[in-house]
Amino acid sequence: MIHLYRCLLHLYPAAYRHEFAGEMALVFLESERVVRRECLATRIVFCARELSGLLSGALREQTRTLVGFYDCVPFGRFDMRPEFRFPRSTVFLMSVILAAVVVAIAKATSIELKYGATLETVWPSLPWFLALMLGLVCLTVVIGWGILFAMRRTGMHRLANLQNGHEQR
Amino acid sequence: MKALPLSEPVMLVVLSLAEQPRHGYSILKDVERMSSGRVMLSTGTLYGALRRLLAQGWIERFAEDESPRDRRVYRLTSRGRRNLQVEVERMRHLTRLATVRVARREA
Repeated sequence: MIHLYRCLLHLYPAAYRHEFAGEMALVFLESERVVRRECLATRIVFCARELSGLLSGALREQTRTLVGFYDCVPFGRFDMRPEFRFPRSTVFLMSVILAAVVVAIAKATSIELKYGATLETVWPSLPWFLALMLGLVCLTVVIGWGILFAMRRTGMHRLANLQNGHEQR
Repeated sequence: MKALPLSEPVMLVVLSLAEQPRHGYSILKDVERMSSGRVMLSTGTLYGALRRLLAQGWIERFAEDESPRDRRVYRLTSRGRRNLQVEVERMRHLTRLATVRVARREA
């Protein structure tokens, strides 16, 4: 486990690794030694927590190294809070989506069998269609991110003003 | 001071160091104890928070003589303690406000 952890530490920028990797591995070892005595479920939760923490931490630090700061990426908004629980409807909605995907695949297979010969004419336009879809998705993501960023900026500005007022007093 | 308000995990880390200097594993355990097991930090999250607190001058770290080479101890700086006071005051104000508003609504 520690070998995997040490390998994953290479996802962090070199400077960060140089400063904290030894310490992080030591703390991980101590935590793992305690968790080793627990049941399988606890160990799985521990591994999942460590893995997600390590990956999100590496992403943050890499972003900070590339951009100079990571306030431009509203990670905090998407951090999973310990008290967060998925609503019960999520299981139902995900089941519906899965069923829809299975039905769509079955339908597509039957269409292919029925009109297989005529589909040849559709293939040349498919790459363009996929490229267009990709472009639209990227545009939507950029707009969504812009809105989130703007909302966060507004909040931060207000809080910063509040804080400055506090300090001046 | 852009770092304020603190998120709950970072607040717990700072509170843990407000009591006494601690090393990484001790902070993890103390945060878990303070939140009654509700907040369990991963090492990645903990060291991300510690790096930011170090960069902003809230905490400082030093090596203990008898400890292994990689084990460093973190402690709150006077600036960190001042900032913590500001944050606690902000939370106190918020709690007071919430109490007044809820009481007014119930009355």
